[in-house]
Amino acid sequence: MKIAVCIKQVPTREWQPRLDDSKTWIRESDASFEMNEPDAYALEEALRLKEKHGGEVVVCSAGPARVAQVIREALARGADRAIHVDDEGLAGADAFVTAAALASAMHEEKFDLVLTGLQSDDQGFAQVGVVLAEKLGVPHSTIIMEVQIDGASLRVKRELEGGWFQWIAMPLPAVLTIQSGINQLRYATLKGIMAAKKKEIRKAAAPAGAAAKQKIVSLYVPEKGKKTQIIGGSPAEAAKTLVQKLRDEARVIQ
Amino acid sequence: MATLIFWLLFLAFVGVFAAQVATRLRLIAAAPNTFDLSDAGDRARRWLADVLFQRKTIVERPVAGLAHALVFWGFLAFALYTSVEFLYALGLVDLTGAGWFHAYRLALVPFASAVLIGILYLLIRRAFARPAGLGDHVSAESIVIALFIATLMITYLLTLRLEEGTAVWTLNWWLHMLVILAFLALIPASKHFHLVVSPVTVFLKSPELGNLPNLDFEKEQVGLETLKDLGSKSVLDAFTCVECGRCQVNCPAWGAGKALNPKTIILQTQDALLAGERDQKLGAIYSENVLWQCTTCGACENQCPVGIEHLPILIGSRRGLVSNGDAPEYLGAMYNNLERRSNIWGLGYDQRTKFVTSAGLETFDPAKHDVLVWLGCAGSFDADFQKSLRSLFSILHAKGVAFGVLAKERCTGDPAKRTGNEYMYQELANANIEDLKSARVKKIVTSCPHCVKTIGADYAKFGYRVEIVHSSVFVNDLLQDAGGAAPAGSADTVTYHDPCYLGRYAGTTDEPRALLTRFGAEIREPERNRDNPYCCGAGGGLLFADKEEEPGSRISDVRFKQLQATGATTVVTACPFCSIMLKGAQASAGAETQFVDLMTYVDGKLRAIG
Amino acid sequence: MILVIAEQKDGKLNRATWEAIVGAQQLDASAIAVLVLGAKAASVAGELAAASVQEIVTLEHPALEPYTPDGFTAALQDAIAQLSPSHVLLPHTYQTRDFAPKLAARLDRAIVTDVTAIKRGRETAFMRPMFQGKLTADVVPQGPAPHFVTFQIGAFRVDQVAKGAASAPVRALTVNVDASAIRQKPEPPFQQAKAAVDLSQAERIVSVGRGIKEQANIKIAEELAKALGAELAASRPICDSGWLPMERQVGSSGQTVAPKLYLALGISGAIQHLVGMKGSHTIVAINKDPDAPIFEIADYGIVGDLFEIVPAMIEALKQ
Repeated sequence: MKIAVCIKQVPTREWQPRLDDSKTWIRESDASFEMNEPDAYALEEALRLKEKHGGEVVVCSAGPARVAQVIREALARGADRAIHVDDEGLAGADAFVTAAALASAMHEEKFDLVLTGLQSDDQGFAQVGVVLAEKLGVPHSTIIMEVQIDGASLRVKRELEGGWFQWIAMPLPAVLTIQSGINQLRYATLKGIMAAKKKEIRKAAAPAGAAAKQKIVSLYVPEKGKKTQIIGGSPAEAAKTLVQKLRDEARVIQ
Repeated sequence: MATLIFWLLFLAFVGVFAAQVATRLRLIAAAPNTFDLSDAGDRARRWLADVLFQRKTIVERPVAGLAHALVFWGFLAFALYTSVEFLYALGLVDLTGAGWFHAYRLALVPFASAVLIGILYLLIRRAFARPAGLGDHVSAESIVIALFIATLMITYLLTLRLEEGTAVWTLNWWLHMLVILAFLALIPASKHFHLVVSPVTVFLKSPELGNLPNLDFEKEQVGLETLKDLGSKSVLDAFTCVECGRCQVNCPAWGAGKALNPKTIILQTQDALLAGERDQKLGAIYSENVLWQCTTCGACENQCPVGIEHLPILIGSRRGLVSNGDAPEYLGAMYNNLERRSNIWGLGYDQRTKFVTSAGLETFDPAKHDVLVWLGCAGSFDADFQKSLRSLFSILHAKGVAFGVLAKERCTGDPAKRTGNEYMYQELANANIEDLKSARVKKIVTSCPHCVKTIGADYAKFGYRVEIVHSSVFVNDLLQDAGGAAPAGSADTVTYHDPCYLGRYAGTTDEPRALLTRFGAEIREPERNRDNPYCCGAGGGLLFADKEEEPGSRISDVRFKQLQATGATTVVTACPFCSIMLKGAQASAGAETQFVDLMTYVDGKLRAIG
Repeated sequence: MILVIAEQKDGKLNRATWEAIVGAQQLDASAIAVLVLGAKAASVAGELAAASVQEIVTLEHPALEPYTPDGFTAALQDAIAQLSPSHVLLPHTYQTRDFAPKLAARLDRAIVTDVTAIKRGRETAFMRPMFQGKLTADVVPQGPAPHFVTFQIGAFRVDQVAKGAASAPVRALTVNVDASAIRQKPEPPFQQAKAAVDLSQAERIVSVGRGIKEQANIKIAEELAKALGAELAASRPICDSGWLPMERQVGSSGQTVAPKLYLALGISGAIQHLVGMKGSHTIVAINKDPDAPIFEIADYGIVGDLFEIVPAMIEALKQ
């Protein structure tokens, strides 16, 4: 089985981003980067499928040179080789441009299965996986909890809202976006790190003329930052205020 | 004629002895060389204290230890006698008539009596009292050896009593010599092999507790995977074990009813080596789950009177498992956290920055600051422990100590090292050393004993040396000049829990107590304290373990009961992880015990004085 | 014309559709069509016609039942070609996430997802969170119409829908869909038989700590959980004492959760507990101790007696 995992490198999840001068993107020089957490679940799932069905796992990533870091992390955990669509212009690119870049490099490989995370921790559009499927011309499904492979066909368990689930069958090749939290990514072993140094990372060029489909015209800190609001007043008053804020401000209850 | 018979017997028994010794020597020689003679002065000093003066044997078990010491000293005293008799029996030289020999034989009488009393006491203790450390069943071989020794002393005394030259005397003499020969043959395959090897083992034992050399990745070292990977010192250790059980009864995991038993580990090693299956996986020999129950507190190694080092075997085996991806799941999560965020909890760096800002801490500048304060993981991210650090800062400010913190700190790598993830440890260590060097740090103060051990002792293996002291030592020094009058009516009754990495590893036991008594506190000592505390259960990665499926109780619960038993209502701690574990135990027990960190206690007293 | 794609299942309208209609009305109230797909679309159309929109369009086709991304994409591709909207708006539901990007990619058109507000200006921009909510972006879709926009659930309030003076007209649309080209074969949906408590999937959690004092008091936490539609959880000491089963323990030696709402009652916030819930979207802490570490990470906090505050909350929730 030839399994591809698309992994994005994003600024560290718990880092307070600082804006660049144009105020349309973050100041990357200030940031430290890590593997997009939702993609880690896809990677672990791919590695488990390989252990079960044999074959190879190929890490695919589209981004500037620094993306090599997460590629190596994936190789150290057992991915067999990698494809890096290397282009400085891919930093902060929108989902369409990213998917186009990945598709151009992935087409010829004829992967049996492509796994991605649900969305990225930086932009969070949740589009790349689905757009990639369209560009590769293969069926897809999203928010997948479980993958069963039987020869040339696939049966996946998709999560629906409200505690409902659904099994879906489709032929291979296919693209799946994997639900977060379904597994725990294995750590990089010493042997894995040593072996990773010898694994192939194929560089590909980004396709020319991929137009951005959206433009960030302004990026800013929202008014309500993450500051603790201590609600005062009598217990009855405080309780009432809290419920109101949860309803209208935080919008976590109806 | 008698001489001929004696020669035959001599050659036979010595042959058996030599063959068995040879087997063991071959196994030692075949193992990768881990013998080390550095710091010979320290080793010699320790050798004198522990071998010659039997210090370790006596301290943990005074009566039995003294009894053994008597037997040992007697053994030494008899060496010359035995040699003379053998030379005579082999027909080589006859010194038995010499005047000095007579005087010597009389001088040996008190020794013989002492040995007899000692061995009889030990025999009764082993056979009838049956203390836990000596195992579930009485080994026949131990009884035989004890009876041999008793026989040797009795026959010796009889040679002085009986009339020389008579048949009875001759029979007695032959019995004495035969018992010696039989004893000789029994030595290598029994725990009495320690007679031969333990002086060597003690000398070769590292002066550093829990000595774990770095893995050399250039040489593709991955840790201990199979039996043949065990180093020569570990093989020697396996044959040195006297089965006394000091390691076992002091082990906090064993004390909490878990499967781990350091004595069993050593004996399993011995059995496996003699069975000769060099390719057998260590994880199978020791049973993997047991390997993950060790907190690396070091009690086993510290108590061993014959120089065995348990930690290189335990942690070395962990390394082999971790390198192959066989670490338990909770450690996998911890390793991912260290890789992504450089701290064990995977928390965002902004939290540390927030604390540094709110506490008004300055970035370390060698031109301005006397010392660097190393916050550590807990200091950077645990709001509870940060209260203790604020107390420390307050004390330092009050005493006019100029200090700063590093702009960027990563975990020292201690949890990675102790759980066997050597790669992660070296990544963190090398990065920290770079930062410490470029900041030109000369002296570090920290409140975390694990950081003291790692930065102070382990980083030295990379060639990085820096002075690092625990805050209790630093503050105690600071207050030496200041008078310390206890505020009136303030006799607190407290109990102090020695952190393993402070009391045992660093030997720092006086300074924390001095800080408490200086302010008039009455310290009620728990049953395990000072350089032999009972672990809180956080070390060795066990902070994240807590698997309910394991048998026995939680190590932290056992320790908390010990602290409660002192009757003190306040527990003073000096380590963030001891604090986390013991507070957790307190919450589980539903107790009302107060916990206060040492620095908070001292700061409170200083403010009260004004 | 702005096209809103409604979501319904078995004739039951997804509430979030109303939110999308509010968004549409903010964008351009004068020219809105609402498209309903799938079997029983007609029965839902009547409900939707109450809104102040220009028309309701129903689209029924055997290929649309059950839902598949292939089927919906093909049908909507055809429908959009017929209707020529300037914008296509959808609520950001699991189903929308499954097909909308594919549909936009099929048409090679821009799609901005998870939008929380519309910003009118020289160009219309769509506000959405980025970087885990730490920053907000104003995004302008590029390229020719239609532009696709999906709205974050809860971004618009259902009670702000403008109702029409009269019922909007309803008409049916026909499309050509090659059912044999649909590659997904879904089985009927099912609800997971919950053998054990799975806190990791809970949207709201009420968690109790030592401050609850006695086992008998857990009842009030249970009532609050019920009023909030939340699951019950606890810190370690509560589970150690057996007051709640181990499966409800949150912390480094229990479950790690990241619900929308985590309400900590009488929990001090020791680090071993914190690491198990710090990813929660909104954290509320109620504790007597103003110095409790939990307040450091809480979004909302009340320093006070939970035995007075919780009953008051239950009252407030009933209103």
